[in-house]
Formats: sequence, structure tokens, C-alpha cells
Amino acid sequence: MSGNGRCRELLRYVHCRNCPVYSAAAVQLLDRPVTEEHRREWTARYAHAHQVSTPARISVVVFQVSGEWLALPTPAFQEVAERRRIHSLPHRREGVVLGLVNVRGELLVCASLGRLLGLEAKAARQPANNTNSSTSNSSRLLVTIWEGKRVVFPVDEVLGIQRVNETELREPPATVAQAANRCCRGVFAWRERTVGVLDAEALFSTLNRKLA
Amino acid sequence: MLFLLFQLGHDRYALDAGRIVEVVPFLALKRVPQSPRGMAGLFVYRGRAVPALDLCALTFDRPARQLLSTRIIIVNSGEAPEEEQLLGLIVERATDTLRREASDLVEAGIKLAGTPFLGPVLMDEHGVIQLIHAHKLLTDRVRAQLFNSLTEVGHETH
Repeated sequence: MSGNGRCRELLRYVHCRNCPVYSAAAVQLLDRPVTEEHRREWTARYAHAHQVSTPARISVVVFQVSGEWLALPTPAFQEVAERRRIHSLPHRREGVVLGLVNVRGELLVCASLGRLLGLEAKAARQPANNTNSSTSNSSRLLVTIWEGKRVVFPVDEVLGIQRVNETELREPPATVAQAANRCCRGVFAWRERTVGVLDAEALFSTLNRKLA
Repeated sequence: MLFLLFQLGHDRYALDAGRIVEVVPFLALKRVPQSPRGMAGLFVYRGRAVPALDLCALTFDRPARQLLSTRIIIVNSGEAPEEEQLLGLIVERATDTLRREASDLVEAGIKLAGTPFLGPVLMDEHGVIQLIHAHKLLTDRVRAQLFNSLTEVGHETH
């Protein structure tokens, strides 16, 4: 607001910026001559084709499990929890299910991503210094949610949330184990590593079949 | 409906915003010899050559003033919306928009054979605004001349 505030229009418009007289005066600023330099600049700018905007980016949580770098779409991710005791279930010592864990007072199914994706067999074949990586080495628990059901996966390391463009994703290499390949949407390079992006839909449907 | 307002001389006119592709500043034009009346020249818009029609010259026989408020409104002047024929309209004081219902448009009462592009009128507190039909600005002969020759130019340069 400028002036002494006695303008009658103020009762109606409260502030000068809402007043048509003020905005009409502002528009007069545009009635200035165009310099040749401006015109040249604009002409060059509008001559070029529009920069194609980057396609939709997907957000993923990057983590490591059984020596593999994987990523899960963020909508399926809920939280990262500290490692805690996994209560094993009777007659369920060999499969994908590791047991139950207590997360915020709720007992959730804890499953091994390594076993589900068939990564563990590969890790065991390599002369690794730890053989039972999925249970003993995991320092974090990845709490995920899909269609309202929460599942916990022990992981070695969580690197955080990363955004990738759909165009950056490449086909996973054919050497990847079949189970992993089915659940993999593609791989992308990140900090000199190759990260596999999991397909949440395929991953959880595979998991549900194994749980049944 | 949203309308873009502008001035030709002292009178105000409006364009249906649905036809507008983009409003750009008064870019430098390349003159085209022997071009029809009102045709101010060519400019390159996002890699395409677009003819520019000076509405001031077309209606008042005086070129548009070189001011910041003088702008080129790029419209799709094709008869049908799906055939894209970009045309730049040079108009003065293209600084405002107006939102009105289609039912607020009133028939102008006069229909002149020489100006088939003039449409119905709107009223606001400052007076009468006349709608301009972007797809009727070019006569069929001029349209054929312009867009056919433009595509030929495009082939030669590639």
C-alpha cells in the first residue's frame, strides 16, 4: 500500500494490489518500446524446440541383502527398524519365513529376501566370510507394506531413498537367478553399483504364495 | 470459457483461449516478399516456421507498435482442431484474460463480407469486446498459399 491510506477504494479492495486502477497502471509499464537486443534474445530462445521434460521419476529405497544391491518402490516401504530378536516358528525353519518380529507391539512375519529371490544360494557358493548372512549379519529390518499387509525383511544395509527415471532402468542381466528375475523390474547404475529395482507387485505375490 | 483480450486501435477484442498454443513476445520476423496483406513475415517457433499475421495492419493498415505489450499469439488456425496449422497473430496490449460463459456472447448484429473473422460480442464494465475467430482469419486461397509453400520450404532446408 502506498500513500496515506485515505483512498476510498481501500474500503472495497483492502490493498492496492487488488485494485483495478493499480493493476491497470502496472500494465502500462508494458507499453515500453522493445529494444532490438531483447527481440533478438527472445527470437533465439523461442526458435529452439522445447526441452523434453524427463519422464516420471520413480522413488525407491535402496538396500543391500546377501551382497546384492536391491531397491524397493517407496510406496511399499514403511520404515527401517533396528535388528531385534526373530522368534522362530516351529516347522518353519527351512523356508522363506524366518519367524516373527515385534515391531511397535505388533508381531509381523519376517521373511528372507535372499531366500525368496534365490540370492542366498549364489552367496553361499561364493567364498563369503559369512554363510548364514540372512539371519546373522543383518543389521536392519526393512518394514514393508503391500495391500495392507506388513512384512519385515532383514537387510544388511539401507542406503536411503533414491529417485530414478524410468528411462534409466535397463533389463536385468540374464544370469540373475530366475526367481529374482521375475521380481525385478530392471537395474540401474548408482554410485558405481548396479541396483536391481524390485517389482513390488510380483515380489509380494511370490511371497504370499510361499507363505500359504 | 477463457478469453485472451487484446487491443486493435482503441477497441478491444478477444480470442478463445482454447485455440491458443502459446503467447510469445514480439519476436523478430523475417519478411516474406509478395506476401498477402497483413502478413508480417515468418518466425521460427520451436523449430517450426510459423507465419505471423499483423492484425493491426490487417484491420487498420498500420503495423503494430514495437512495445513490450505487443505480443504474438500463436493459435491453431486449422479448420478442424486436429489439423494443426500454427499461425502467429501480432496484437497490441495482449495483457489480460477474461473468464465468461459461452451464453454471455451476444450476436454482433452486423456481418461484413470482408471480415468473416469477427464474431459475437461480450460486455464488461469498460465496454464491448468482440470475439475473433482464429480459424476464419485466413481465406482459403491465402491458407493454401501459406501452408503449402511453408511445407515446401521445410523440405528444401532438410
